[in-house]
Amino acid sequence: MRKLVPKLFVSFSLPLAILISLLLGHYRTDPKTVLEVVLSAVFPHLIHSPPETVRVIVLLYRAPRAIAAAITGAVLAVSGAALQSMLRNPLVDTYILGIASGAGFGAALAIAFLPPTVPVELVAFCFSLIAFMLAFVLAWSWGRGGVIALVLSGVIVNAFFSAALALVKYLAPDPHRLASIVFWLMGDIGQAAFWYKIMRMLAISLPCILVIWFMRWRLNVLSLGDEEARALGVNPTVERGLLTAICALMTSATVAYTGIIGWVGLLVPHIVRLMLGTDNRVVVTYSIVFGATYMVLADDLARCLTSEELPIGVLTTIMGAPLYIYLLRRASGVWR
Amino acid sequence: MEMRCVLRVEGLSYTYSRDLVALRDVEFEVYSGEVVTVLGPNGAGKTTLLKCILRLLEPRGVVYINGKRRWDELSSRELAKYFGYVPQTHHSIFAYRVLDFILMGRAPHHTMFSLPSRRDYEKVHEVAKLLGIEDLLERSITELSGGQMQLVLIARALVQEAKVLLLDEPTAHLDIVNSVRVLSVVRKLVKSGRVDAAIMAMHDPVLAASFSDKVLLMSRGRVVACGSPRDVLRPEVLREVYGVDFVRFEHCGFVVVVPRASTEV
Repeated sequence: MRKLVPKLFVSFSLPLAILISLLLGHYRTDPKTVLEVVLSAVFPHLIHSPPETVRVIVLLYRAPRAIAAAITGAVLAVSGAALQSMLRNPLVDTYILGIASGAGFGAALAIAFLPPTVPVELVAFCFSLIAFMLAFVLAWSWGRGGVIALVLSGVIVNAFFSAALALVKYLAPDPHRLASIVFWLMGDIGQAAFWYKIMRMLAISLPCILVIWFMRWRLNVLSLGDEEARALGVNPTVERGLLTAICALMTSATVAYTGIIGWVGLLVPHIVRLMLGTDNRVVVTYSIVFGATYMVLADDLARCLTSEELPIGVLTTIMGAPLYIYLLRRASGVWR
Repeated sequence: MEMRCVLRVEGLSYTYSRDLVALRDVEFEVYSGEVVTVLGPNGAGKTTLLKCILRLLEPRGVVYINGKRRWDELSSRELAKYFGYVPQTHHSIFAYRVLDFILMGRAPHHTMFSLPSRRDYEKVHEVAKLLGIEDLLERSITELSGGQMQLVLIARALVQEAKVLLLDEPTAHLDIVNSVRVLSVVRKLVKSGRVDAAIMAMHDPVLAASFSDKVLLMSRGRVVACGSPRDVLRPEVLREVYGVDFVRFEHCGFVVVVPRASTEV
């Protein structure tokens, strides 16, 4: 197998990262106790159970948070990888489809004007899907779902919902709600760190990730461009439409819970390509794994870097920009 | 070898917009074992013709493959197993390994969700050996020269197991050494029976004369002449199509046409 060492490194980094995040936090624990907690949760009859405090902290606070981060990272990274290939553009991620601004608008609307009984994540999810469908219909109506049509329609829808979001912020009835909107927009994995929310996220994102993973070789063919793909017997508009819809669906489902977390979908596939090559069979697989790792570690930083929690979306962007510049300088041979 | 009609084109017409007619009533036949050159100046409709045969465009008219089946009865996957398209060049966004790039030619033999198997890899290696590009397999496609890229694109069409190769200006970006190399490879593939026939779009009558069995001379979307290079490449016909004077020589059964430098200013 090619590049076995970096592949093993990436694969083992995920459980390691999750273990690290179970250890980190105000309440001090040691690796042995944490392992005992995890094992006793999996095999309750074999391992004697550790103190209740540690159990609660690890299983009800830290573990769901790490898992939520892992899912979010995997979803953002794999949809970024798929879209970059399909749209033949290394500079896009799922947010190009209008999802982020749609979700932002929906969340802001719910926080500012809707009664608290309406779940924010539901409204955010609906509006991000509405935004995507608008972009998609627009792209099909004037460009038959072509690459440029999709990107441009996404830009238009993004602009529209950004403006609508600004309007909601401006009209927000009181400063506390405005503050909540601002926090939501900066992203927070903690919002998703409950087992029941994780189950809902998984119910949507797991099948979506699987479909993309099964189509990972097909993505290579789609990245050749429409003409060559068609000459190879592939219908690029239909398959691209299917895959974009899948990416949009699972990204909406995660962004609705976590808020907007930027740069992961853009950056992670790039890092994977630099490490392991451009074949999508590898890029898709390891974007899932490395995206999860990256997000878990970023969330650890967000939790533990300062005494107050930092907003994760801000952190990933601040980390991402310099890393991206560094990668692009190194990668002059990969992109032409 | 028995001559079998592998392709018959009847009344093919294509219009890009209302007043831009790219093809008018194109008719010709291709038999097994033939290297056919579609010749003509820029804008004559050569590339459009190839794209219509490949159904990348939707023309009026019919193409019969194997002499009998209408090509619009076939699914795009079946069509991809019959025609192998070799584009002028490939503008790569991603720096695929040559091996992975050629492997994509196996797509018509797979469903949406399947992955290439050991057999597919064996096919790639077999074709690479045939074309003498085994040493390129581990390289990145962004590092290839024009001639190497052309051979890699031909290899991709071969792993498709296509019966007929359609090459769009295979020598457009190549120097004379690589042009001859690529055209010799195409000729060898046809003559050895590896593919049934090859159709190449070209604008250079000099190369067309020495590498093809049949020349389809086009001008403004119409077929001006069709036949052996000896019959078609006559100076008076070429002058009409290209607006340039040609001198014709014959040597050892080969026809050579050379453009004459114009003395007019």
